[in-house]
Amino acid sequence: MNRLSVGDKSAPSRLNRWVDPSFTDFPTESFSVPARKKGGQILNSKCEAKRSRKRKGDSCSDSLKSSLLKESTHRDQDEPWVDRYTPHSQAELAVHKKKIEEVENWLNVHTQSSQGGILLLTGPSGCGKTATVQVLCQERGLRVQEWTNPTNTDHYSNSQQDWRMMDFSSTSQLAQFQDFLLRANKYNCLRMMSDGGGSDRKLILVEDFPNQFYRQPGSLHDILRRFVKTSRCPLVFIVSDSLSGDSSSRLLFPREIQEELNLCSISFNPVAPTAMMKVLSRISAIEAGKSGGRRGVSDPAVLETLCSGSSGDIRSAINSLQFSSLTDSSLEQSLWKVKKDKAGTSVGKAASRTNRRKKSKQKEPEEEQAIGGKDASLFLFRALGKILHCKRESSEGSEPAKPEPVLPSHLSHHHRGSLQDDPELVVERSHMSGEFFNLYLHQNYLDFFSQLEDVERASEYLSDADLLTSDWTSRSTMGGYGSSVATRGLLHSNSQQVSVGFRPLHKPHWLQVHKKHRENSMAAQSLFRSFCLSPVSLQTHLLPYLAKLTNPMRNQAQIAFIQDVGQMSLKRGLTRLSLEALTDKELAQVESEEEEEKQEGGDQGAGDEALSASQPKPMSSQVEEEEVIIEEYNSD
Amino acid sequence: MSLWVDKYRPTSLGKLDFHKEQAAQLKNLVQCGDFPHLLVYGPSGAGKKTRIMCLLRELYGAGVEKLRIEHQTIVAPSKKKIEINTIASNYHLEVNPSDAGNQDRVVIQELIKTVAQSQQIQSSTQREFKVVLLTEVDRLTKDAQHALRRTMEKYMSTCRLILCSTSTSKVIGPIRSRCLAIRVALPSTEEVCSVLTSVCKKEGLLLPPELAKQISEKSGCNLRKALLMCEACRVQQYPFSADQDVPETDWEVYVRETANAIVSQQSPQRLLEVRARLYELLTHCIPPDIIMKGLVTELLNNCDGQLKAEVAHMAAFYEHRLQLGNKAIYHLEAFVAKFMAMYKKFMEDGLDGMMF
Repeated sequence: MNRLSVGDKSAPSRLNRWVDPSFTDFPTESFSVPARKKGGQILNSKCEAKRSRKRKGDSCSDSLKSSLLKESTHRDQDEPWVDRYTPHSQAELAVHKKKIEEVENWLNVHTQSSQGGILLLTGPSGCGKTATVQVLCQERGLRVQEWTNPTNTDHYSNSQQDWRMMDFSSTSQLAQFQDFLLRANKYNCLRMMSDGGGSDRKLILVEDFPNQFYRQPGSLHDILRRFVKTSRCPLVFIVSDSLSGDSSSRLLFPREIQEELNLCSISFNPVAPTAMMKVLSRISAIEAGKSGGRRGVSDPAVLETLCSGSSGDIRSAINSLQFSSLTDSSLEQSLWKVKKDKAGTSVGKAASRTNRRKKSKQKEPEEEQAIGGKDASLFLFRALGKILHCKRESSEGSEPAKPEPVLPSHLSHHHRGSLQDDPELVVERSHMSGEFFNLYLHQNYLDFFSQLEDVERASEYLSDADLLTSDWTSRSTMGGYGSSVATRGLLHSNSQQVSVGFRPLHKPHWLQVHKKHRENSMAAQSLFRSFCLSPVSLQTHLLPYLAKLTNPMRNQAQIAFIQDVGQMSLKRGLTRLSLEALTDKELAQVESEEEEEKQEGGDQGAGDEALSASQPKPMSSQVEEEEVIIEEYNSD
Repeated sequence: MSLWVDKYRPTSLGKLDFHKEQAAQLKNLVQCGDFPHLLVYGPSGAGKKTRIMCLLRELYGAGVEKLRIEHQTIVAPSKKKIEINTIASNYHLEVNPSDAGNQDRVVIQELIKTVAQSQQIQSSTQREFKVVLLTEVDRLTKDAQHALRRTMEKYMSTCRLILCSTSTSKVIGPIRSRCLAIRVALPSTEEVCSVLTSVCKKEGLLLPPELAKQISEKSGCNLRKALLMCEACRVQQYPFSADQDVPETDWEVYVRETANAIVSQQSPQRLLEVRARLYELLTHCIPPDIIMKGLVTELLNNCDGQLKAEVAHMAAFYEHRLQLGNKAIYHLEAFVAKFMAMYKKFMEDGLDGMMF
């Protein structure tokens, strides 16, 4: 009933044995075929065929041997390389040393004392979060106790006889989770004969959250609060970030809870290309050695494409490496077959074969990309930087060998170098709608321009882009064009790009302003309904003058509203709005920007607190600049 | 204590202060017994609503003035609930359908239907029709306007419409041709002055004619604004002095300062500051087109003759975009950037001309 999955690793591997992998039926077949042949030949035994039979028999035994060998290699191939090459020491980990150190320090602190703590590991998938924990635990002899979501299908299958057990076992996942935590925390494992000593210390690992928590994060928090009070061993949560916006770590562990529970959070970066290259080349070298020369060490160029295609996901990189080498070997085998069958054929054939090989070599990079390619994605911060910094190919680097089409002299001022990045691709990778991306661009573009004439053109392009996407019926089709116009317009109009160095980026202010504008208008209308005025004259005439009059208001809300909206601070100094800085790994908060003209009443509940923090304060004289400088995003 | 604007609002056609012959004509219209659908248009602050309310009083008597504010919920065919405020008496219903955004078609159809379907009980002693007063008709979507045209004909027997808008240019032709159009022009400066003086007299105050003139000029003959200004003057200083400062609204001052900021320096950094100011205006409920208008008037004051035409042209261009587009800030900012560039070029050319 209580699913303690202790020593979890061994169970699935045994299961694997029971289930016959689909690929292994091949050797048994190849075994049976020669046997039957043999039998037939014995039946038809004739002395004149003796010599030939002997030869055949020899060849049969040969093939048998080879098939056996093949079987063993196939067994090997069934096991994913990701599992086979799980790192066993810190040196093998592809994670940055400092990150490992961080986790290690935490573990040291929290395993020495008898009081446990909670650690939260976040990061994109496949960046080695789990592997780090496993390795570190292995090194210090900690037993990892992992929670896996129970599947209760088996209760339904054998329903008849133990239906009475049902009510006992069909507790909710939530209760089971709580139970698990309690027991794992309280009790040590039973000491089996084979167990060595010193395994009494352990660590609880949760990667797989019961679904209920996503719906009601509060229930998780309650459980954790209870856990913290009695905790004796460290508890580690691993949450993968996703780029598509819904970051479950923020949902499950909001900042208040992190502070309340004294929860330590370590965020992993995607695996750096250099580290990944090291791992990949090591694996491919070992595999090449194992295959006994039949499989060559993979081309560094291939590894490189795998690396770049996986965008920092080492798991997918290893998987695609395995996959690519699979196709490789089969290709080779078939080539061998060709060679055997047509032994002693002309040299021309061989030449054609090498041609084929060459061709396949050439095609390889794209194929690999197709196989292992993960959708590359950009953090918003970098995507914006790519557009705003406007990197162009340096003109002196490219050879003037092929003359580019030159613009006629009267248009020569429109000439620009070719772009480094395709703007459409950048927008696509930022996982945002074009419109939203444009807002971000609009918020930030002025910092990157030095000439007013350029600004004029850029702002015109932004205005054009908005015009394209204004009609909601055609927005789905026009959105792409809109973002194209905006990004390309910005890129082109920035004629005198000065290297501006690092600039902080900000979140668009427009959304808040627009929302506030709408809310205020609605409030004005509902509060001052008795004046029976149209909204425009109400907002532009009545309210500002009401602020100047000593008219007794009917209620407190009206007074507050007039003070807030009717008056403006007329200080001489230009007030700067406090802006929300955009942090480097910020995901696009897709505050679903509802069609303004379609639904007036829909409100976004999410942005409320952010709003109050960053609203302009009309009463305060000087809003201090709250610009947080973001440190450069280091990719390793 | 209510505002002067409300306190001294004329309540019958005979008491109206200006456009008296038009008032007489309306009186005749009512006395004929029946009247067509009306389309009352004119700039804001000219007294359209006042005139309409007088007309209704002429029609139905004092019962019209017993107003109640109702909060109605209308369920659209798509099961979406639309909430809208109406002001109603026993004889008429006033609604601003553009409050409902682009669901205004449903609002118009449903409201008019409910009004039209309930017959007057005693048709012998009363008019046999009710009146539906639609305000801000020019903000209606095209959809709603077409729906309105059908509804107008269908319920002609039990219901009359009075449409109220600032201009007819956004009202579709079929509706214009089904209505009797009545234009209410702004009062002249003298008329505003006389209204102000009479109101002050009723309040027991003495308004110097110079101040009255100053107020009426500053208000742009918008009577509502003039009265509010006058009342603000009263709060500011009494007894009035002839050369008293007439208080302006904060946002107008703010817009002027913004315009000055634009003229004094043209650079991307300044544009960024201007953007912050535009945002500030927007959060204070000033509609984008009003901001645009205010900016243009202030900027034009700083322009030379040649430049004026160009600036006005650009303003018209971006004001149009403001209507078509979705996010006002893009267009406002584009206009400001455009002006900055034009102004800068103009100044540089002028400097060159002076030097050589």
